[in-house]
Amino acid sequence: MTDQATEPLAIQQTFVDVSNVSKRFGNTLALDNINLNIGAGEIVGLIGPNGAGKSTLLKAMMGLLKFEGDLTVFGQNPMANRKKLLSQMSYIADVASLPGWMKVNQLLQFVADTHTKFDISRARELLADTPIQLGSKVQDLSKGMKTRLHLSIILAISTDFLVLDEPTLGLDVLVRRDFQDRLVEDYFNQQRSILITTHQIDEVESILTRVLFIRDGRITLDISKADLKTKFVKLLAKDNIVFSDANLKPIYQRQLPDHTELIFEGVEASQLSDYGEVVRPSLEDLFVATNS
Amino acid sequence: MNIFIALVKREISEHNSLWKVPAVLLGIAILIKLSFTFGNLSIDFDVPESFELDSTVNSVFASAVGKALSYTNWLISTVMFIVAVFYALSSLYDERKDQSVLFWRSLPISDTETVLAKLAVALVLVPIIVLIMQSLVALIFLGTQTIDYLGSYLSLSLSGLAKGLLWSMLPTIAWCLLCSQLANRNPFLMALAVPLLVTIADWLFLNGIIADTFVINRFSGVDHYTPTVLVIGMLFSVACLALTIARRGERF
Repeated sequence: MTDQATEPLAIQQTFVDVSNVSKRFGNTLALDNINLNIGAGEIVGLIGPNGAGKSTLLKAMMGLLKFEGDLTVFGQNPMANRKKLLSQMSYIADVASLPGWMKVNQLLQFVADTHTKFDISRARELLADTPIQLGSKVQDLSKGMKTRLHLSIILAISTDFLVLDEPTLGLDVLVRRDFQDRLVEDYFNQQRSILITTHQIDEVESILTRVLFIRDGRITLDISKADLKTKFVKLLAKDNIVFSDANLKPIYQRQLPDHTELIFEGVEASQLSDYGEVVRPSLEDLFVATNS
Repeated sequence: MNIFIALVKREISEHNSLWKVPAVLLGIAILIKLSFTFGNLSIDFDVPESFELDSTVNSVFASAVGKALSYTNWLISTVMFIVAVFYALSSLYDERKDQSVLFWRSLPISDTETVLAKLAVALVLVPIIVLIMQSLVALIFLGTQTIDYLGSYLSLSLSGLAKGLLWSMLPTIAWCLLCSQLANRNPFLMALAVPLLVTIADWLFLNGIIADTFVINRFSGVDHYTPTVLVIGMLFSVACLALTIARRGERF
């Protein structure tokens, strides 16, 4: 507290530390030697197709399955200290999981009774901005409102780390956008972090600060959004082209009816401008490029 | 402790048969009383021996009232036992079916706390409800004589209740909770079929001792129980509960 100068260092604190974590189900290697750190001030997207190992990794982090290697969350072994862990972080396993039979105010009271970091008046404040009535039953709310309610509860828990497992599955575009905006505006700051798993890349792209691609149990790309912008470029070329510079090797090439898409790694946009239009690749482009 | 109370409160509001059934039973008791006083109900029905009133107490009241009271006491105990069994069968299964288990498990509550709260509802709360209801029924039937009656009835029934709880209820509820956690489709069928098959297999191929210890005795053995069989039942219950807690921890 007294040493103001070291405060920026404190921000570098590690929330999640995964080293050499593997998990085998029978003959299949669900996680293959994963190494990964998540610190404060990040919105990390763990992106991969179904069966890539996302949920296995998440379950390992949440103390739901055994694995080989070392994994700590807030310095704790998640398997042994699951309850303690959950009191220090917030977790939405599924936005459709709130108990339907409960009334909104019963639900708030239950969380207040069981989670010491939950501020019930803050939750009521957040809900006052929504059409949700405290006397309504959860099952009578629309899917969008259930999501809003779940998020309001999570936002009223003052923890520094939030894990969202496929958070926007099945939500329409307006609700999804609202959900993301609230995460960024009401939750995220330099002391906090969010980890989001998804297989729908385009749904989360805009809010991430860091991207993790996972495929066949391996992290295939771990890069910050800032580096992403400078490291990869996409060229839209008219025809099959021949590059005069031998160093210009695309990592991925895709033939489309009226043009060819090429993705380059570590190449300046200016080097490519003679060959066609140079644009920034989307996460989806990169996911395909780095995983094929 | 706060968490435990919150969990029990949650169970009561989720499983409303826990208070709706007693309310209906009280209504029935009032109807029986009214029928005795103004209607056609007569006194010719039999109750199980253990629910027969102490003869000295019985003589205090008109025997018709005594019989009716014994009958409703038996009814309340039986119905609430069934309520407790169905509560245990549905409690863990329902939260998986409606996915709310994902939400419950995202809060800092251990699986042990959750399962023990459910056990406490069936084994502590339900018997307390039974005693409260029996007292209320006595009040309905006897009015001012209630105190005398209750003193006698409770001194007899409390020890019976405690014995029944440990002998029959604990293993039954622990087994039902386990089935509720394990069953993919129908916990009721599982809870019923496994003991039935064990019993039949034991009778057909073995000497019947397993079926007797684990199944038959739990229904009929309470009046002539032996400590060994009681302990076996308790160990079985602990094993069921431990497995329930472990399995809830492994799956979503």
